[in-house]
Amino acid sequence: MIQLEGIRKSFGKQQVLGGINLTVQKGEVVVILGPSGSGKTTLLRCINYLERPDQGVIQIGNQKLEGKHPGRSEIHRLRQRTAMVFQQYNLFKHKTALENVMEGLTIVRGVPRDTAAEIGIEMLEKVGLGDRLHYYPSQLSGGQQQRVGIARALALNPEVILFDEPTSALDPELVGEVLEVIRRIAEEGITMIIVTHEMGFARDVASRVVFMDGGAIIEQGTPDDIFQRPREERTRQFLRRITPEANYSI
Amino acid sequence: MSRRFDIHYVLDFIPKLLAYLNITLLIVGSSIALGLLIGLLVALPRLYNVPGLQRLSRIYVSFFRGTPILIQLFLVYYGLPEILGWLHIDVSRIAVLYFVILTYALNSGAFISEMIRAAVEAVDKGQVEAAQSIGMSGYQTFRRIILPQALGISVPLFGNLVIGNLKDTSLAFTLGVMEMTGRSQTLGTATQHFIETYIALSLIYFVISVLLERAFVWLERYLNQYAGKEQTSRQQRMAKRWQARLIPISDRGGKQG
Repeated sequence: MIQLEGIRKSFGKQQVLGGINLTVQKGEVVVILGPSGSGKTTLLRCINYLERPDQGVIQIGNQKLEGKHPGRSEIHRLRQRTAMVFQQYNLFKHKTALENVMEGLTIVRGVPRDTAAEIGIEMLEKVGLGDRLHYYPSQLSGGQQQRVGIARALALNPEVILFDEPTSALDPELVGEVLEVIRRIAEEGITMIIVTHEMGFARDVASRVVFMDGGAIIEQGTPDDIFQRPREERTRQFLRRITPEANYSI
Repeated sequence: MSRRFDIHYVLDFIPKLLAYLNITLLIVGSSIALGLLIGLLVALPRLYNVPGLQRLSRIYVSFFRGTPILIQLFLVYYGLPEILGWLHIDVSRIAVLYFVILTYALNSGAFISEMIRAAVEAVDKGQVEAAQSIGMSGYQTFRRIILPQALGISVPLFGNLVIGNLKDTSLAFTLGVMEMTGRSQTLGTATQHFIETYIALSLIYFVISVLLERAFVWLERYLNQYAGKEQTSRQQRMAKRWQARLIPISDRGGKQG
């Protein structure tokens, strides 16, 4: 279980998060939607302390971190419970797909190389890259790179995987393969928090949709609640803007 | 005053000069090694934004980049004993060679620190975040993610530095160090065949520079293999190594299903 309480974050004078409370149950797939600049990505990055919140409490399992200056080892332990999939994939460019997936296992978790390789191969097969184990990122397409990124996150068997706009940097024809992989692992019951602009996907995969604007959660609910019966005007506006085809009339 | 040009002298001088190549290479090798250490120490405050030290290292770098190495040689050789004299440390019996090595080390340290800074900053920050996100420590991230890529990036710069350093060592003769250029002076004076000594000397410097250049190009290619489109021998080796592991896994999958 993940619990965020009163998360505040400002960059200079610009307040990005104004006291966010959010609870995510084990096995939930939470999709965060919102216009750009609404603080979605910052919130996600606060969960594993890639961004330090100015204020607030973050709890994952029984690991609890508070405010701006927790100890290095505390942050380290928190990060071991999470994994992240990045917009720009952020694969280690000098390592092959398999080595990318093995890195966290061997170096951070101290798993023996042989075992790590077995897990790595299994994860890469799971994302459909069993035949690309020994390719460097430069030899893979964007979609394949992102799937390696997902395998790298999966291999660590984290309590939650954070997806930061995983398909935003991809060519349109490659988006499908990545979403398909995420959809498949969502069905396995892994807890996920996803920031995305893919509405169809959000609707499909989310157990809960959270709508953010101006650094605050405006409303949340099941995909049907949010997409069919949004209560807040700002949510309606946002949905109208991003699904204009629904409003076309001849 | 000078005698007529005679090509035989060139051939004759080459082995005589080569006898002093070891001194030249000693200056290059030890000053670059020391320079790497200095460069790293000087780069760190700027990479980690350490206040105070950051300013010092900037002054150091701009001084050694902004003054001629010949003047630096004189400053270190004549100035350092003065300063140490005030502290009652007597360095008058230390061989001039060590002052020369120290000067070249301080000089290349300045350039190397800039090289390190540029190379580290060229490794994309996203990979650092990815390393942090999987729980790697700062040291692990530097050692396993930043360093291997920064090395590849810095090789061409480093090659230029080493070759530049090699050529700069020719100035050491001004302090009377008997390296190759120093030897060429004495050969020229003794035989009055100056042109021939300089031709022999430039041939030697040229050949060593070309060899170094080749070596660095090879090293660059080796360290940056991962950026290419073709399969490398390393990939093929790894494929072979983990292949045995692939088969049992698919087998296991088969049995379960």
